[in-house]
Amino acid sequence: MQTILYDFIVNQKHHRFRRSFPEYENLAEEFSNEHLSPIERMTRRFELLTSLETPVLLPDEKICFMRTVTTYPDCFTPEEWQTIKENHYVHELGYLSNLSPDYERVIASGLLTVQQNADSYGKRIIDAIFRLSDRYRDEAEKQGKTALAEVLTRIPRYGATSFYEALQFFRILHYSLWLEGNYHNTVGRFDQYMYPYLKADMERGLYTRESALALLEDFFLSFNKDSDLYHGVQQGDNGQSMVLGGIDEYGNDVFNLLSELCLQASKNLLMIDPKINLRVGKNTPISVFELGSELTKAGLGFPQYSNDDIVIDGLIKLGYDLKDARNYVVAACWEFIIPKVGTDIPNIAALSFPKIIDTCLHRDLMHCKTYDAFTDCIRKEIQSECDRICGSIQNLWFVPSPLMNCMMDPGVYEGGKYNNFGIHGTGIATAADSLAAIEKYIYLDKKISKTDLIQAVDSNFEKHSEFLPLLRYEAPKMGCNDEIADNNAVFLLDVFSDSLKGKINCRGGIYRAGTGSAMYYLWHASEIGASPDGRRQGEAFGTNFSPSLFAKTRGPISVIHSFTKPDLKKVINGGPLTLEFASSMFQSPDSIHKVASLVKAFIALGGHQLQLNAVNTDLMKDAQLHPEKHRQLVVRIWGWSAYFVELDKAYQNHVMQRQQYVV
Amino acid sequence: MNGTIFDIKEFSIHDGPGARITVFLKGCPLRCQWCHNPEGLLPTPQLMVKESLCTHCNRCFVSCKHEECKPFHRCAHACPNGCLSISGESISSFRLAERLNENAILLKSLNGGITFSGGEPLMQADFVCETADQLPALHKAIQTSGYADPKVYQKVVAKMDYVMQDIKLISEQGHLKYTGASNAKILKNIDWLLHSGKEYVFRIPLIPDITDTEENLTAISQLIGEASAELMPYNFLAGAKYQMLGMTFPLADHPNRKEDFTKFFQNAKLIS
Repeated sequence: MQTILYDFIVNQKHHRFRRSFPEYENLAEEFSNEHLSPIERMTRRFELLTSLETPVLLPDEKICFMRTVTTYPDCFTPEEWQTIKENHYVHELGYLSNLSPDYERVIASGLLTVQQNADSYGKRIIDAIFRLSDRYRDEAEKQGKTALAEVLTRIPRYGATSFYEALQFFRILHYSLWLEGNYHNTVGRFDQYMYPYLKADMERGLYTRESALALLEDFFLSFNKDSDLYHGVQQGDNGQSMVLGGIDEYGNDVFNLLSELCLQASKNLLMIDPKINLRVGKNTPISVFELGSELTKAGLGFPQYSNDDIVIDGLIKLGYDLKDARNYVVAACWEFIIPKVGTDIPNIAALSFPKIIDTCLHRDLMHCKTYDAFTDCIRKEIQSECDRICGSIQNLWFVPSPLMNCMMDPGVYEGGKYNNFGIHGTGIATAADSLAAIEKYIYLDKKISKTDLIQAVDSNFEKHSEFLPLLRYEAPKMGCNDEIADNNAVFLLDVFSDSLKGKINCRGGIYRAGTGSAMYYLWHASEIGASPDGRRQGEAFGTNFSPSLFAKTRGPISVIHSFTKPDLKKVINGGPLTLEFASSMFQSPDSIHKVASLVKAFIALGGHQLQLNAVNTDLMKDAQLHPEKHRQLVVRIWGWSAYFVELDKAYQNHVMQRQQYVV
Repeated sequence: MNGTIFDIKEFSIHDGPGARITVFLKGCPLRCQWCHNPEGLLPTPQLMVKESLCTHCNRCFVSCKHEECKPFHRCAHACPNGCLSISGESISSFRLAERLNENAILLKSLNGGITFSGGEPLMQADFVCETADQLPALHKAIQTSGYADPKVYQKVVAKMDYVMQDIKLISEQGHLKYTGASNAKILKNIDWLLHSGKEYVFRIPLIPDITDTEENLTAISQLIGEASAELMPYNFLAGAKYQMLGMTFPLADHPNRKEDFTKFFQNAKLIS
């Protein structure tokens, strides 16, 4: 490992090169006064920011390009945004996000070729890239870094001819896409499109395994140099997801040497970017799961596993072509998207399952004579909530991105080959447990009356407080391999998926149901009071597709049984089951093998996505008291990892409350 | 028939081959000072209280009608913070086997199975045998002190695929002092096990200044020869559950010596 460069990045010494340009903070006002079109603004901002940049080469650095300008003005004034939002549906920040651009094509052909087919704005953006990369080349020459200067003579104008050129080319593109204003820019099947370069170089004797790893580590560090300058809900939520392994378009397993080196580099560096996703299936050899578990042991919350057998089938059922489905990648967190050609918006909205239960509890329960009658009400409420959500997403508007447009096929302005919208389904365990409690105590055992339950929930269990321990600790819970709770989860997810069937979105695509929660496990939880599963007012839901925070499960085997019962092909927008293991579980090769077998078993049982954490609660407690001592402690949040001490307290506490399994 | 268990733990990775589900049977004839499962000692159900979460709302002192709460004069189902639980569930061998068999396919893919532990599972020998008979598709292991009549020991071991046999102290007096019982029966059973043709491993707790002495470890090594052994280091956190039961952990926080204990044995590994 390049320890000097590593030390530089980890200790943020490179921040000293940063400069701000307050005179450009109000760029949007100038743009507005000139009545410039959105695409002109995007192009001008890019031209301006690249011109303000100072090429900086860090000590020992092989892969360059780093932002030094901290000023990042918006293209539109707040008033303009208001007008846009009055007339359009604007997703999140209004810029394009969660795409997996065609790095492969651009790196192979060079930007000159891309420029020929670009519109005038794309041409200008590419020219600006050339100007900046030329200045980097000059700086490299000046410093006597001839290898780098030589690389920059060829790329990004022409296609890469070596692994080194390809990595540097990627960095320039990734950097430029961020700077253009796109966010959650994902990395895609990096080990697939980069491997031919490495393989050829190794055959030429240019690299050993070790020297290739060293270069790769240098490259991995580049993801961590300036990601803090871009947007995110929490620091670290930046979407730099890398996908490794899995099958290719023809169904062959393509886990290769580069996949392995990427796992190794991530483990060596212990940094939160890039975020590693590992594609596996029932035929994946146990050795791959073992390599994955070795990385889990490092405590970054990587890799996140996705199951090719389930995901690909699920995508095909939604209408994706076989070849595209087999090439799926993971968006910023867990959403399955198609690289190069797909412009899905996989996180456009979220349905709160517990809110559905809450509504029906208050509106319908009193007059439902049977449990079936009650679930009918639930079904109708999910359908009408889906109608409402989908109806609200009309007239979608994005800021046009000329460079991103060049890197997608056939572009992004008119939409790509796939234009589907993904809807998260949040709080599944809270909702399934709530239904289970209603089914069991009101309809089966008749132990609790309808009025009493409603009163208990409405008073946050101040009234009928005797129900709280029963509902909270003794009632059926999802994650205990309990039929009542699990069947209700199956029901909820089926209805969710069916309710979105046949709906066409405003870009001509369809809707996809998912099991993710993102930050909604806090947001949606604050929208309702207490719930019939014994959850008190103000308590969060479990993250993504996971048991509720106070469910006492017997362990990961029951959890896996519970969470593989639903037909996960039907909710293939994504959203992982999260299992937390004490870091002491990973001490010997033998225990690594056992953890790997558990992951494989989850895949074999039809799980769609799994996120495994090695956690050390004592360390987290100490980090809350002495954050300065634990700057490098990494934890997994919802689809990404972060430095624990940089998180808001609410997220810190949530991480610490999740149930973990010990030896 | 019914037995009493105090826990079922999934995905235990140090309780035999592969990854396993461990059933903890309640009741033990020994009183090892270092015992980390104090709720396994008494054969009868016990109330466990997590004082650290208690807000002194006193709801548990309101009298209730639960049969299982009667012996404690407190209600185990009343705590809004989940502080109270009853350790010790009476369960039929049929129901237990049913619960375990649900996991057969998964356990097979983990190359694991079921491990009977405790407490001392031999104290409920008939229940263990009856349960084992209903687990034909599962690999079965037992974790035992070996403190039982040879007849009982052999009967139960016959139902198992794998035996994890404890050896604590070779000196009879030492054994009496630190576990409250003589090791005569144990040594007899170990002698039988060594010649039984069963697959087994010996488990040796490394308790500072009690079992981890050179004298004791050498004597154990002589007894077991080249058989494989697993050494279990002492962890003071083992005492965590005593307070919940209103008991006191007799040992102090005393780390193991920094020493390679495997050197006393022909074929031992440290479990951590």
